[in-house]
Amino acid sequence: MTEQVIHLIDKDGKRTDGRNIDELRDIKITVGMIKNADGSAFIEFGKNKIIVAVYGPREVHPKHMAQPDRCVLRCRYHMSPFSTDTRKNPAPSRREVEISKVIREALEPAIILEDYPRAAIDIFVEVLQADGGSRCAGITAASVALADAGINMRDMVSACAAGKVADRIVLDVNDIEDKEGCADMPVAYLPNLEQVTLLQLDGILTKEEFNECLDTAIKGCKMVYEIQKQALIQKYFGNEITSDVKETAQ
Amino acid sequence: MHKYFDEVVNENKMQEINKKYVLPGDVIIEGNYRPLMNVIKKNNSIIATRIGIVEMGRDGIKVIPLSGVYIPRVNDIVIGKVVDNSSLSWEVDINSCFSAHLPAQDVFGRDFSPARDDIRKQLAPGDVITARIMAFDRTRDPLLTLQDKDLGKIPKGEIVKINPTRIPRLIGKRGSMIQTIEQATNTRIMIGQNGILVVVGDDNETVSLAIKAINTIEEEAHTSNLTQRIRVLLNVPEPSPEDDENTENLQTENSLKQDVKEENDDGENNLEEDEK
Repeated sequence: MTEQVIHLIDKDGKRTDGRNIDELRDIKITVGMIKNADGSAFIEFGKNKIIVAVYGPREVHPKHMAQPDRCVLRCRYHMSPFSTDTRKNPAPSRREVEISKVIREALEPAIILEDYPRAAIDIFVEVLQADGGSRCAGITAASVALADAGINMRDMVSACAAGKVADRIVLDVNDIEDKEGCADMPVAYLPNLEQVTLLQLDGILTKEEFNECLDTAIKGCKMVYEIQKQALIQKYFGNEITSDVKETAQ
Repeated sequence: MHKYFDEVVNENKMQEINKKYVLPGDVIIEGNYRPLMNVIKKNNSIIATRIGIVEMGRDGIKVIPLSGVYIPRVNDIVIGKVVDNSSLSWEVDINSCFSAHLPAQDVFGRDFSPARDDIRKQLAPGDVITARIMAFDRTRDPLLTLQDKDLGKIPKGEIVKINPTRIPRLIGKRGSMIQTIEQATNTRIMIGQNGILVVVGDDNETVSLAIKAINTIEEEAHTSNLTQRIRVLLNVPEPSPEDDENTENLQTENSLKQDVKEENDDGENNLEEDEK
């Protein structure tokens, strides 16, 4: 039996899914698809399919969790049993508990929690189909859903990963590259305030590689931000912008 | 001369910025302006915190939000449901993350005594009331009062819930939209700033037509020519000068509505004052 050698980057510089090293996967965001939630978003980030629902500000239950000076932010990241090729146990795993925490901490600096004391904001991130980089896709969608819910925010949060694959720094690492590559670095970023709210690194990078990786990831976040903006504009101002265009044309 | 030039520049800037669509984090303008509502000031620039439309006046900059839940504001007229009572006050659900309280003294007067007066005789859980928010500063639950004209228990009607950010659109310019609906369907519509409406009519058909119109406005609030489409839905002819006179008559007949509307306008102004 021979072991199959995987070429993560071919001689033309193309990756396994045909992308260049500085290219994002296709991203599509739909805003407000869950009517029962105060805000919601559905994101397709490559093969990732994630639904995010935001509820709140609403009353805190149990009451003792309420903070007198600010809002409680609660976040649940969950992968559905059918999201991966082998069935995933629906009970929250160690990994999901951790990702719930990092998503919450990535979003917290953007939300003006002091505006809603004694209340709670709940964010539910449900992964329907996973393909590497689901925490970044989750943060991106959660930020759009928060804006849709009309929660006061200092800035949007955009997230994107970068990594080291076959000794090259690449943008937006997918599932195979994550598993076979050398390093994976998810970054969440406030694009207008220019602040990093999440930075994780799985793998080993030299100092120069780290800097290049971070710059690449931030560049990716800025591209993601443009897509987030388009999605929100489409939902809220879509009709008016088209009618304005029509009026000026007439 | 120089000052005049400055003013012209500001007018142009105002024109440019007014009605601009913004998303959270967007820089609206740089410079020494005063933040009023749904904006923050950071490093000499005004940043939007909500999805909405910019409104810039001489007193500052605000964003009219297009989404969000109801957060109480002082002097808002709200419609709520009594959910519970203690011996001294009622608890009222006002469609917000904060539940409101109506003290018994407000209804019974200063000499209220829990031993002598039965609080449930006036309002019992399940009753729907129109009330004004007397005090609210986010650190404590809002306090309600019924001490105003046309406030109190609502005896009958159909309750409709809409997004509170759509209320100004539902009322329309100087109440035009809501009057169109009321006249066409022969109903009375009470509006709470918290997104709760009560429609009162003689028969089910007119009430359900009014509700249909309200729901249409909620869904299509951000589109242009909405008034015209509502007129088509309700089979109302285009308004002529004579109709305007009728409108005014109706306004005087129905003082509660006008009150609510005035309060709406006041509510905006009051908020600005609060944030000063």
